[in-house]
Amino acid sequence: MSRILIAEDEVLMLKALEFKLKKDGYEVDMASDGRQAMEKVKANTYDLILTDIMMPFVGGMEILSFIKNDPLKKNTPVLLISAVGLENVVLEGFSLGADDFIYKPFNLNELSVRIKRYIKQNEFN
Amino acid sequence: MSIFDNIFHYIGQLYTDRLPYFPTNIRASLMIILFCVIAAIEIYIYILFKRIVKMREEKQIKYWKEHIGNVLANIIVYDETDNTAEIISHFYPRFKKIPLGNKIVNQIVVNEILLYRKNFTGKTAEVLSQLYRKLNLDKKTRKKIANRNWDIKIEGIREANEMEIVELASAIIKYTDDENALLRMEAQAAYIKLSAREPFHFLDRARERILDWHQVVLFEIITKNKKLTIPSFSKWLYSPNDTVVMLCLKLIEHFTQFDAEEELKRLLRHHNPKIVKKSVEIIGKLELANAESFMFEIYFDQSEEIKLEILNAFGRISSGQYADFLSSRIYSTDIKIKKEALYAIKRDPDNGKNKLREIYNQTTPENQALIKHVLDDRIKQE
Repeated sequence: MSRILIAEDEVLMLKALEFKLKKDGYEVDMASDGRQAMEKVKANTYDLILTDIMMPFVGGMEILSFIKNDPLKKNTPVLLISAVGLENVVLEGFSLGADDFIYKPFNLNELSVRIKRYIKQNEFN
Repeated sequence: MSIFDNIFHYIGQLYTDRLPYFPTNIRASLMIILFCVIAAIEIYIYILFKRIVKMREEKQIKYWKEHIGNVLANIIVYDETDNTAEIISHFYPRFKKIPLGNKIVNQIVVNEILLYRKNFTGKTAEVLSQLYRKLNLDKKTRKKIANRNWDIKIEGIREANEMEIVELASAIIKYTDDENALLRMEAQAAYIKLSAREPFHFLDRARERILDWHQVVLFEIITKNKKLTIPSFSKWLYSPNDTVVMLCLKLIEHFTQFDAEEELKRLLRHHNPKIVKKSVEIIGKLELANAESFMFEIYFDQSEEIKLEILNAFGRISSGQYADFLSSRIYSTDIKIKKEALYAIKRDPDNGKNKLREIYNQTTPENQALIKHVLDDRIKQE
């Protein structure tokens, strides 16, 4: 069973994503702030990480940067969730190695399809 | 007898047996002290009571937030192919068990639905909208909009906007020109989204100012909403409200509405210099050559700022008809005007640079230095 980490500070969103991904058959781990997410990333291995950009303590970009600079974790797909679609934010995300950007509001089923694709792709690699 | 018994006994005696024998000022002081002690005790009891009520409320909020969150999270994980009506009818009984009559619980349901609605699209958004209506929360939103307090009205308008309750557009329109700027802005933003037939009707009746930063907000809403049918904004250029004219000018510019040419020419004689400047800027950007003569007519009566904008517009249009006029500007005493005119001449792709070289040979050393500067392609125009 593929393991996914969701890092999101909005409790309701976290819950919704948890329900959806569990329904899709993934093992889900959750972090409600950036610091918690960073600790989990350091301690565990995930098949995919879904993180909000704006979080207390540690932002999504820092988590992304940490993962992509770690030789053992750099292949883990990272999907950034953001309410801000600013060009410089997107560019920064992709330049740090983000695999995809999800803009709020988003379609949950579309997210589900994207996650499936990245996990398959990662397994294949 | 303990020490406390002694104290109480003494105080008791003081206010009963001994009080009449004290002088008046001491008696008055003792009564004030008694009053203050009783008031302090009452205040403490009140604070304690309030804290208990607040704690109970917080507990209740926490419980219901979690419960409602769980029910909603279950709803949104349905597949795109599932039937919306079936999803609603499946979950409706669960919501009926929630005490929606309770003000706090009701507001939690509204807030949680709004939050999900704001973050998700597709089937999820559709289901949430229908659920909102099925729970009669739209009626409560309508009541909020009709409330006497402006802050509650705003809350209602926001709810209607987020949940896309289009029927409420007619109730919102009257607030689009309200004296209260915050209410007015919220209503305008909501009306654009909710009014299917005439989303810009509020511009017809706008007498109050549309503040500069709200113009930015409205501009964002209008330009980013893909569902909107964009009208010709030129019809609002006759508005007596300068802020409406200004907003429409920005939209004409964004949507490159060439049909506004006649109105733009007319606005060159507008009493508001900001509108004149913006009109000139758009004439230049849309390269409306027919408007050149109108700009020339007004040129000499304008401020430096507008003169610069006119010269810039001549440069953008580059019809060649006013080349002599632009050349003559080099004898202006204002360096900015000289520079802008030279750049305008340079912009003519066919003959601009040759014209500048021609002027170079006939002008003063000071102007020659300026022409050299303008002709140097490495230097960008400020």
